[in-house]
Amino acid sequence: MTEIENIAVADQVDQSSHPSSFLSKYIWSQDHKVIAIQYSITAIAVGLIALILSGIMRLQLGFPNEFSFIDPSSYLQFVTMHGMIMVIYLLTALLLGGFGNYLIPLMVGARDMVFPYLNMLSYWTYLLSVLVLVSSFFVSGGPTGAGWTLYPPQAILSGTPGADAGILLMLISLTIFIVAFTMGGLNYVSTILQARAKGMTLMRMPLTIWGIFVGTILGLLAFPALLVSAIMMIFDKVVGTSFFMPAILSLGETLNHSGGSPILFQHLFWFFGHPEVYIVALPAFGMVSDVIAVHARKNIFGYRMMVLAIVAIGGLSFVVWAHHMYVSGMNPYFGFFFATTTLIIAIPTALKVYNWLLTLWRGNIHLTVPMLFAIGFIFTFTHGGLTGLMLGNVVIDLPLSDTFFVVAHFHMVMGVSPIMVLFAAIYHWFPLLTGRFLNNKLGKFHFWGTFLGTYAIYLPMHYLGFLGVPRRYFAMGETDFIPESAQTLNAGITVSAIIVGLVQLVFIANLIWSTFKGKKSGRNPWQATSLEWQTAQFPPGHGNWGEQLPQVHRWAYDFSVPQVKDDFIPQNFSPEEVEYLVSDQNNTKEKK
Amino acid sequence: MQIFKSLQIKPWLPQELEDEKNLISSVLNRDKAATTALKFFLAVVTVIFFLFTITFLQRTQSFDFQALSGEPWLPFTNADILWQNSAYLLVASISIILAKKFTELENFKGVIISLTATALFTLLFIGGQVQVWQQLNQSGFYIYANPANSYYFLLTGVHALHIVAGVLVFIRCIWHFSLNLSYQRLASRLKLCALYWHFLLFIWLFLFFLLTSDAETFKTIALFCGF
Repeated sequence: MTEIENIAVADQVDQSSHPSSFLSKYIWSQDHKVIAIQYSITAIAVGLIALILSGIMRLQLGFPNEFSFIDPSSYLQFVTMHGMIMVIYLLTALLLGGFGNYLIPLMVGARDMVFPYLNMLSYWTYLLSVLVLVSSFFVSGGPTGAGWTLYPPQAILSGTPGADAGILLMLISLTIFIVAFTMGGLNYVSTILQARAKGMTLMRMPLTIWGIFVGTILGLLAFPALLVSAIMMIFDKVVGTSFFMPAILSLGETLNHSGGSPILFQHLFWFFGHPEVYIVALPAFGMVSDVIAVHARKNIFGYRMMVLAIVAIGGLSFVVWAHHMYVSGMNPYFGFFFATTTLIIAIPTALKVYNWLLTLWRGNIHLTVPMLFAIGFIFTFTHGGLTGLMLGNVVIDLPLSDTFFVVAHFHMVMGVSPIMVLFAAIYHWFPLLTGRFLNNKLGKFHFWGTFLGTYAIYLPMHYLGFLGVPRRYFAMGETDFIPESAQTLNAGITVSAIIVGLVQLVFIANLIWSTFKGKKSGRNPWQATSLEWQTAQFPPGHGNWGEQLPQVHRWAYDFSVPQVKDDFIPQNFSPEEVEYLVSDQNNTKEKK
Repeated sequence: MQIFKSLQIKPWLPQELEDEKNLISSVLNRDKAATTALKFFLAVVTVIFFLFTITFLQRTQSFDFQALSGEPWLPFTNADILWQNSAYLLVASISIILAKKFTELENFKGVIISLTATALFTLLFIGGQVQVWQQLNQSGFYIYANPANSYYFLLTGVHALHIVAGVLVFIRCIWHFSLNLSYQRLASRLKLCALYWHFLLFIWLFLFFLLTSDAETFKTIALFCGF
């Protein structure tokens, strides 16, 4: 065996074994960039389905009984599929499968992921999970309508929509997804730990990589809880075991189950479910940090604290899960513990928000579209985070549980906020993919439509929650404590939601048009310092780095360094390559 | 711990830039990357079995739980067949270490014998497990009849799946060796396989203890865990 054979793909001298056929280049590709795009297209496509489902739900809520194709069963099915697709198949897949795949090797200075074949397999397994999920729309009984939390016993009992094939396909799809995620996740962490370019120490990594790294570790350790619960529920459904099923009378019939614990499922689900918030949020935190630093031309404030906060949030996210279960009848001391940990996790999170603001403070802020979305994220995330603090307290959570307040909270914090970052990231890194900018005017229209539109949706929704309007109800019926004006508000929310949905079509059109006809960006158009913009070929080709891998000499945030000619120093610039201002050097000499 | 030392570095300071030569990691190889990936995978599998175990221990305290050993008529009061299966997996685990040693010595005959022994005893373990499942079914200990039965089938089934996945990777190693006869490559792969086999042996011994304990033991464990 030669020495080269033993060196990881990421470190190899480019051997020019580039794929040549269409199939090997674009379909069965092992190139992390192509796999990232495959992940992204699939995630966005399935996300559009979820977006349409949310529009249909809003039509029913805003204008009850006006649309004959929405009945109580299909409404619950749309709620369920919308939630599950958005959380798992869109956000997790796009942030880690899409951006993780694209950015990790480029940002750490590797040629590819350390296991390219496994990476390819990960995407195709993910696609299989999506297909299995979507197939549930076409089976008898349709998809499951158990709610995205899939709580037993109702999830598998007849009477719940999709209780036959629908729930099984959902559970099987989740199992396949977790296998896909594990394959991808092992690749991400191994690449980050073992394939960094020379000089790329852990503390020189951009925060994007830190966010993806810790988010991936969370995923690897949290998804098993969903896997375990999915397997056990499949057994309950198919084999007749009683892991989660108590003795129960269903539709007048005594079932053969006994002794199982539905609460046990809730614990397992939320042991996955809460870290899932951070599986999505941590990569988003990282990406938004980099976008803010680049477009404010300033080093990120408190880099070390930002890294420690990411790690701390990751650790703490495993000890807060039961704050989703205050109404399940837990011991009050248990509730006290989880309320306390929930408040504690707000400390590193708030620290990040302060650091983003302090990065912006007296920065040379460029109000580009990525920056607009990044600033929008700070608003929506702070908003959603503060309502999270409210719900983290048992006494506030109990009356607000299962109301629209909760819906508004989690949509702001883990729906709108990560999506704002996703948009910031897409507008920021689009030139790296295509060599072209996304259209600026359409981008600004997209930002204002999305930002103001989502506020028009979710601010009133908090108020509906305070009124006591329950979530997951097909129709409110005659309810004394809900005033008629609530319905008017609901109709307004629906109109806003439809407008926001249509604005996303403008984004999709911009994406397609700009890919082919967008303004050419040239190399490193944002004058960023991180490695992904410093490739020999632009946009980067197969193998990323041409003949030799880059060598890193500094951290990723050398912006506006005093006495330096340009306001940025790329990570791969050695001290000798940095150009200083002649006049400043003279001034310095004079002062001496 | 290197990671904690790393987290204390202030990358924005000039002296940290000057110290960069000390920070540059050496060129890393595929084996190291594979070892990292395997360790993370083992962590994932550990979490899976840990969670199964937590749910199992909680279930042992429910009114309808009937442990699989303790009384003379219960299947694992006499667990000879499980001891026999454990021995198979232990021998497989030892022979894979021998295979690695022979590979390092480039002893072709030794490699073939030890690899064959690994495959044979691993398959015997799987066959033995299947036999236990059949015996349980024939004796009326169906998977749905009692939570203890359910957990037995579930946990040993998930464990067997991991063994089967390991066997597939093991076959791939042998296949690659048959193509290029690279002892160095085979040794590095067998090192990973050995780690995986030892890990699954450890998991099996843990499951063996857990699933064949009697009601009193479960009561003590549950008390200790606060269930």
